[in-house]
Amino acid sequence: MQVVVAEDLFLLRDGLTRLLSAHGFQIAAAVDTAPGLLRALLEHRPDVAVVDVRMPPGFADDGLQAALEARRQMPGLPVLLLSQYVEELYAREMLADQMGGVGYLLKDRVFTDNQFVDAIRTVAGGGTVLDPEVVTKLVGRRSHDGPIARLSGREREVLELMAEGRSNTAIAQQLFVTEKAVSKHTTSIFTKLGLAASEDDNRRVLAVLAYLNS
Amino acid sequence: MVVVWMLMILVWRMLSKMLRRFGRWALVMPVAGMAAALFGLNVWTAATILLALLLAVLLGLVLVGWRQAGRSGALPVAMLGAGICGLWTAASLVRSWGAVGFSMLNAFTIQAVVRGPAQRIVVESPVAASVHAAGPAVAKLRGLVVAPPGKGANFNWSGPSWRVYYGRAARVARPHVVILGHGLWWGRLLILGSLLLLAVGLWLSPRAVADLRALITRVAPRLERWRREGNWGILLVPVTSFGLTIFGVRPWTIAALVAAVVITIRWPRLAADLVPLVLVVFAAYGFMLVSRWVPGPTVLAAPQPTQFGAISVDSSQTSLLAGVEASALLAFGAWLFPRTIGAHSRAKPANGHEVELAGRVQRLTETRGHALDAAAAELRRIERDLHDGAQTRLVALGMNLRALERMLPASPEAARALAAEAIETSARALSDLRLLVRGIYPPVLADRGLGHAVRALALDTALPVELDIDLPGRLAAPVESACYFAVAEVFANAVKHSAARRIHLRIEHADDLLRIEVSDDGVGGADPAHGTGLSGVERRLGTFDGILAVSSPPGGPTMIAMEVPCRLLSPKTSSCSGTG
Repeated sequence: MQVVVAEDLFLLRDGLTRLLSAHGFQIAAAVDTAPGLLRALLEHRPDVAVVDVRMPPGFADDGLQAALEARRQMPGLPVLLLSQYVEELYAREMLADQMGGVGYLLKDRVFTDNQFVDAIRTVAGGGTVLDPEVVTKLVGRRSHDGPIARLSGREREVLELMAEGRSNTAIAQQLFVTEKAVSKHTTSIFTKLGLAASEDDNRRVLAVLAYLNS
Repeated sequence: MVVVWMLMILVWRMLSKMLRRFGRWALVMPVAGMAAALFGLNVWTAATILLALLLAVLLGLVLVGWRQAGRSGALPVAMLGAGICGLWTAASLVRSWGAVGFSMLNAFTIQAVVRGPAQRIVVESPVAASVHAAGPAVAKLRGLVVAPPGKGANFNWSGPSWRVYYGRAARVARPHVVILGHGLWWGRLLILGSLLLLAVGLWLSPRAVADLRALITRVAPRLERWRREGNWGILLVPVTSFGLTIFGVRPWTIAALVAAVVITIRWPRLAADLVPLVLVVFAAYGFMLVSRWVPGPTVLAAPQPTQFGAISVDSSQTSLLAGVEASALLAFGAWLFPRTIGAHSRAKPANGHEVELAGRVQRLTETRGHALDAAAAELRRIERDLHDGAQTRLVALGMNLRALERMLPASPEAARALAAEAIETSARALSDLRLLVRGIYPPVLADRGLGHAVRALALDTALPVELDIDLPGRLAAPVESACYFAVAEVFANAVKHSAARRIHLRIEHADDLLRIEVSDDGVGGADPAHGTGLSGVERRLGTFDGILAVSSPPGGPTMIAMEVPCRLLSPKTSSCSGTG
């Protein structure tokens, strides 16, 4: 699997390339500026990009802007954002095109390399992975009326884990239920959120979007 | 009089209690009850009342649309006024009802008052039943009646005007016959209409009051600025016109007035200094007037009655009132002294520019003190947070790693547990640092500026926030930061204390002035004088010559306006708005 890594700090860039190589990814390019990232993405068209939000030259959200621009030119290009902070605002912007293939994680999550690698694979496969911190914040917020309010407690838990990018199998393990029960819940969630039967991955993305917009 | 007032207060209390309990629809009940009492209850009246209510609801819906467009300010006031006028008119008719009694059929009676020398009055009444029921005298009016003034049983002489009773659909054919009366029929409709107007007006008035408050909040910073800069000179003309009440319109009083206008425009500082002097002179004159009326052997003859302000002084009692007025003038003058002459003499300036500079220096000294205090407190907080948080965790992490190193050859199992702990500790340290940085300078603010940062803040707030942001560029970082934390503080207050259902935020930048307005529909009662939150915001904005104005009466709503003079650094074309 071809990966482009964008990170301006040498230590982290080096660590990331080594970690990804060890898990069998091929590093197409490792860049340290936002313009460099955009060039590399357009040139290599990788299976997934791992991008730091804050990068030169502006040291603001340049990485995010480059990723958004790349996705405008190559719709659905899988991008996993890494950052010292997770901002719901940025998550919404990445998800706004409803194409999926979006991840947004705290840099800390690199520590647990298995989960991190799983997240990269989910994103590369068109899934959506949101950092548990964003999800926790969403849960903590008072839910207003809307389709989300119609979900049962268990369905909401399943949706939370879906937002974190877990597969049905992983959700079943986490909640100590059978996979069949989880798939029943997900079907019910899709129905309640009014998501027509289509490709499962896309529906998962839309469900997460509905969750963000609740 | 006192009893009537107390009764009115009691009725108002009951009404407002009812309103709170049943909502504004409770007003329908007294209206319906009043209508029933006036017309009696039958199918016809019920249908009429229902129709009237339907109309009221339709009107209400139209008005709700209007009110959501935010233009309702004058309307409820007008409706309340019209309703009260209508009731007043109806009340003035009540006497004539007393004369004809209170029955359903009298509704067809119309009272006409004829003024002037009426030659003849032509009255036509095709409704036999009503004319019959109104009494034998009126029954003669059936058909066409031509009568000279003062003659005929159908006319009822009452003083200088004619009072005529005649039937429904009557026409009075002389131009100098004035119909004042609207009869019971119209009187009842008048009452019902007035009550409906009053009800809708009352129903709409909270929004009107809110609009009024918004206006006040909008104007308040300007007033505050005006007060701070001490433009008291503008009072010179009104104060000088007080002299007109004492000395009357004379050439020299008019000249003084003209001079006051010229001084106010040309030499505003001199005008400000003159205001307390003129006040004191008038007060002294007032005391002199009072002393002339003091009874005693020195009074040889009754002094000439004079006018002093609102009081005409013609006895020792009224002279006491004049004394009170003079005392008020003296007190106001004394209060103004340190704010005008005192301030100017302290500054000892050569011209108005230097006065301004002196005021500015004083203000800057004040705000610099606040800024230094705030910065010191902020540094202490950061130091404490680092010391107790990340620093401590890093120490623990180092100790863990050292232990790990020692344990690794002997017991790999225990070492693994220690490694897990070390990972956990480093994650906590990172989390602490994240929180700390968020409190110092939030990432979205650093990345994208105030507009987006406030949007992100709105997403994090537990209440729905309506955003209306018109900010075509970045501002200086310290201003952005101060405004961001000000908005955060206000949002936090709204969530914690106001019990509001939604927050509205408006940010605009025009003419080098940033304006932020936050309003909520909560219970109000926010006060910068109590608690540290809002006063902290005020001080923080003060560093940038910013101003905070709060309007938050008990019962709500709360409106907070902030103004900071600042320039845009980099214009950009996009602006953002939305709901979160």
